[in-house]
Amino acid sequence: MWTFGRKIAAGFMLAFLLLLGIGAVAYRSTGRLAQTSYWVEHTHEVLEHVAEMVSLLKDAETGQRGYVITGDEAFLGPYQSALGGIAKVVKELRTLTVDNQNQQKRIDDVEPLIAAKMEELKRTIDLRRKGDTSQVTKIVSGGEGKRTMDSIRRLAEQMDNEERGLLKKRAEEVESASSGTKSTIIFGTLVCLLFVMGAGVSITRSLSGQIGQAVRHVQSSSVELQATANQQASGAKESSTAMNEISTTISELLASSRQIAESAQQVAHIAEESSKAARTGEQTVEKAHESVSGIKRQVDLIVTHMLDLGKKSQQIGGILEIINELAEQTNILAINATIEAAGAGDAGKRFAVVADEIRKLADRVSGSTKEIRQLIEEIRAAVNTTVMATEGGTKAVDLGARQFAEVTTALKQITSLSESTMEAAREIELSTKQQATAVEQVNSAIGNVSTATKETETSLTQTLQTATQLTGLSRELTRLIQPNMSA
Amino acid sequence: MSDQSAMAGTAAALRAAFDRTYALPSQTQQTSKTEDLLAIRLAGAPYALRVREIAGLANHRRPVALPSGIPELLGVAGLRGELVPVYSLAALLDGHRGTEEVRWLALCRAEDPIGLAFADFEGYLQVPLAEIYAANHDHLAHPSVYEVTRSAGVVRSVISIPAILEMVKRRCGKERV
Repeated sequence: MWTFGRKIAAGFMLAFLLLLGIGAVAYRSTGRLAQTSYWVEHTHEVLEHVAEMVSLLKDAETGQRGYVITGDEAFLGPYQSALGGIAKVVKELRTLTVDNQNQQKRIDDVEPLIAAKMEELKRTIDLRRKGDTSQVTKIVSGGEGKRTMDSIRRLAEQMDNEERGLLKKRAEEVESASSGTKSTIIFGTLVCLLFVMGAGVSITRSLSGQIGQAVRHVQSSSVELQATANQQASGAKESSTAMNEISTTISELLASSRQIAESAQQVAHIAEESSKAARTGEQTVEKAHESVSGIKRQVDLIVTHMLDLGKKSQQIGGILEIINELAEQTNILAINATIEAAGAGDAGKRFAVVADEIRKLADRVSGSTKEIRQLIEEIRAAVNTTVMATEGGTKAVDLGARQFAEVTTALKQITSLSESTMEAAREIELSTKQQATAVEQVNSAIGNVSTATKETETSLTQTLQTATQLTGLSRELTRLIQPNMSA
Repeated sequence: MSDQSAMAGTAAALRAAFDRTYALPSQTQQTSKTEDLLAIRLAGAPYALRVREIAGLANHRRPVALPSGIPELLGVAGLRGELVPVYSLAALLDGHRGTEEVRWLALCRAEDPIGLAFADFEGYLQVPLAEIYAANHDHLAHPSVYEVTRSAGVVRSVISIPAILEMVKRRCGKERV
């Protein structure tokens, strides 16, 4: 399918070729007319020279006659003029008819006749000056001059006829060329007009259809473009809003990163302090462990002594049991003695007193042994409590020693972990600073994107306006191309 | 230090009391106005025995059990070269044989002495006669108890050994021990 440019170019090319043909024909006809006109003018110039040649000869003959008749030198003026100009005219005539052999031959023929005429005129004039009027009359009456002049007139007439025949022929050629040119111009113009009209109608129909379809496509596309631009404009607004929110969020993130970096720095400082404190604590714990070991030895010694004290208390209890038993038996004996004394009557009363005192003494001993037993029990209980307490203390000391070892291990772990924490915190600080730098760059990039989004939004607004204008223009173009369709 | 001084004071008081006993004149007249009692416990209840009604007191004398139809009879034991039957004083008073361990034996003063076994011996008492009261027969715990006494805030039933002996005789007569 041919494009619009190709169709228009083809139409213009055919019109151009037709016009070029018409122009070429007209140009050639005009050239022929100009050439013919030139030759017509040339012919007229040849005719004028022929006539001037005859006229100069007539003037010379008139001056010769006047001088011969009157003897007045004033009549020789035309003769003198013709004497000076006739050779020039004949020479120009030869030049003008150089392309015409017939005319050259006639010039060859007339030239001696002109020389003979001028000689006859000069001779008569010279004779008149000399006063020989009879010789002059004789020469004139002899008719030689008249015959020469007739021959010249005849040759001049032939030349004139020759030139007039050429003039007629060239006039016919001019007429023929003019007629052909007119016909060519008229018919060519008509053909060209018909072709241009046909091509115009064809191109107009074709272009109206295709352009109308294209314009409708453009119109629908512009509407779609308008909708798309509208959506993109709203999207660009949302993007701009989102970019602002992102920028705000990134600013907050940047602030958070800086706070994290500061916190990580503080954590590193605290971890370093913790590591130092843990090392100090480790040394303190080792000293305390040594002290606890000493305490454990002392407690073991105390336990040993307390166990010895418990054994001694048990031994005292055993002895006390014997004493108590003795006291009880003494008491029983005293009671029995009292009973026996009571059974002895009056004789036994004083013995009864003694037995009673013995019984009382045994009671008191028994009471004292009870008190001692209680005291010993208290001592044993205290010893047991002390032993248990010291054993508990020993266990606590052992546990404390183990816990000190665990604390030492834990403090070493704390030291190691604090150092790891310090290194990690420094890494976090460095990473966070790098992150903050990256976030700043991202924020800057987001700012640029936001600016670009705003510019895009502005451009989309302009695009939307342009699409709206394009829609209006396409409708206007549709109305211009297809008024019925636009309705 | 205070405990040591208290112990020393107690020893000194004991010594002084012992010495005072020999320094004072005879108190036979004074003692006739008192009653000597042995403070015992039967099944946790406080009782008392008159010293003049018993012939001796022994402990750690485990009686040898004998087959018998009298549940109160614990067996026989050797006291002061004599073999005497031993009865549970608590069983005689309560009518059934107790489960508590008897550590003490009181030998009754009689022509046919018997031993009365009981669990706890609390001490020797000298009670003024004015402190011994006749028991209210309406609330009498046992026919062998006629009197009660109060000592150190504790009211004790005074067991009559003759009444116990009479009751044993009646039981022996029935059972032909």
